[in-house]
This record gives sequence, C-alpha cells and structure tokens, in this order.
Amino acid sequence: MNFDPFFRWVEESSLSVWIVESPSMFAFPGILVFHALGMAFLVGGNVALDLRVLGFARGIPVPSMERFFPVMWFGFLVNTISGILLLIGYPTKALTNPVFYLKLTLILLAMVTMRWFQVRILRNPGPEKDSVSSRARLLAVVSILMWFGAVTSGRLLAYTANRLTVDLLNF
Amino acid sequence: MAAFMESFRIWIDGTAASAFMGQSWWAWRVAESLHFFGLSLLIGTVGMFDLRLIGLVKSVPLTALHRMVPWGIFGYLINVSTGILFFAGFPDQYMYNPSFHLKMLFMGMAGINVLVFYLVVFGKIKALDLNDEPPPAARIIGLVSLMCWVAVITFGRLLTFYRPPWYWCPWC
Repeated sequence: MNFDPFFRWVEESSLSVWIVESPSMFAFPGILVFHALGMAFLVGGNVALDLRVLGFARGIPVPSMERFFPVMWFGFLVNTISGILLLIGYPTKALTNPVFYLKLTLILLAMVTMRWFQVRILRNPGPEKDSVSSRARLLAVVSILMWFGAVTSGRLLAYTANRLTVDLLNF
Repeated sequence: MAAFMESFRIWIDGTAASAFMGQSWWAWRVAESLHFFGLSLLIGTVGMFDLRLIGLVKSVPLTALHRMVPWGIFGYLINVSTGILFFAGFPDQYMYNPSFHLKMLFMGMAGINVLVFYLVVFGKIKALDLNDEPPPAARIIGLVSLMCWVAVITFGRLLTFYRPPWYWCPWC
C-alpha cells in the first residue's frame, strides 16, 4: 500500500510546516526538549523501580513506590504529546523506518511491564514484605533492557531513516 | 582568554579520542544512546529524591530513597565520560556554543547545590524519624537541584541548534 498521499497531506498541513520550518525555539527544538525531559522521568523512574525490585535500596518499602507512578505517567503523557508532534513534523521519516516500530513495540511492552509491577508487586506484596519473586526480578532486568532499547532506537532514528520527507531521500 | 581557548582546542583536537569520535561510524551513536540513558538514570534517582525533598512522592522514606543516589552518580559518570568524548570529537562545536556554556553553568550550579546539601542539611535528614518532614532548607535545595538538571537537559538538547558557524554566541 502506498501511503505517500497521506504523508504528503500531513507534511503540507500548517502544523507540520510550523513544527519543521519555524525559526522559533518553541517549535522543533522545544518539542525535542520536552521529549528528552519526559523520557528522563519515564525511563528514569522505571529503571529506579526495576533496581528496587532487583534488591537495591532495600530500605524503600516496595508498595511506597506507588508514588513514582504519577511521575512516570506524567513523563509518558509529555512524550506521547511531543512524540505525536514530532511525528506530524516528519511522518515519512518515522513511519517508513522499521526502527520506529521497534521503538514503539519496546515502549508498549515496557509500559505493560510497568503496569504489571504496579498491580502484581506493589499492590500485592508477598508473604515476606520486602522480598520479591525471582520472576519479578527477571522481569525487572528485561524492563531495564527494554527501556535501554527504546532510548537507543529512538536515538538511532536520526541515523536509520531512509526517507526524510515524502519527496526527499535521506542522505 | 581567546588564545588559551584556541590552544586548548588545538590540543584536544589532536588527541586519539578526538580522531576516534570523528572517524568511527558507531562511536558517536553509541555514546549518544548511553548519554540519554545516563541522564534518565540521574533523573530517576536524584530527580525522584529531589521531588521527595520538595514534598512530592511523600510515601517513600527519605533516607531509604537516598540509597538510590549511587545509581544517579553512575548515570552522571556515564554522561561525563561520553560528554568528554563528544567535546573531544568536535571541540569548536561546543566551545563557541552558547547553549553549551549555559549547560555548563547549570551543571556547576547543580554541583554547588550538592555540596550545600551534604554540608548543611544531610546531617539533619539522617537524624529524622521515618515520617518526619525534611527542614525547609531541604525543600529549596531539592527544587534548585531539579531545576538545574532540567536546565542541563534543556540546554544539552538545544546544543545542536546553536552550533557554529551557523550560530555564533554573543559573548564568544
């Protein structure tokens, strides 16, 4: 299926033109800043949670980390909005790049893992209050790897794109 | 000052690290990914501790949350190392870049703030009972810390839009 007409329609929209071409620091550069800040809170909070599950900083009661979740969800919200704006700016660049789908898949799986920790570990402490199952610890390692993969694939989007816009190949 | 900066630039430009960062096709990309992960680690640990000092994330015991700080230092060290490699690769792109200057300014402020925290309030915090609130000074220190790191990330991300020779800073 040829999505070029759709890409062209998005790229010719006034929002897309503003994001890409505006000299304002609040356009493309500002959106990137929000995307980096949201990432820091979402990925950072998750890695801290994973580290606690793995047994570091044992003094932190696992259920008390419930308070991390609003912060992480806020980061996710900021990155969903800024990510959609970046996508409107360069739809062809992202959507024709397999790495972009890898990134989204990793984020989806990592978010499901985050929710699993909240429901199964934080709200359902085992018989011994501060120990967690070996399955949870394995999942914590997988979670760290998925977030690292999501950050890396996001960063690599700048280098792996085949096409920049609907009419421009990426050299 | 200008002569000193130029001789420093020429020296670092001639190092093996500089050649490696400029010529390897993967080094820059790997270092960038590590740099982004390192900053996440710093915000996820030190940033969360700052939020706790400010009075958010309240359910987590303060002294226990402080045990996460070594991981933040680990992230910080990843970023200082990769940051030095970026700088070595293309020193002129950083030395004459106003966004880089502001980033360094806020890193310095964050560093001074860390010193103030450990010298002034950390002793009091260690002596607190589990559910006691930190002293008001700690809230301010937490807020300053968080604002500094947000500014460091902001100006770090904006670096690329203020690169010479397309953009020369007013004070260079």
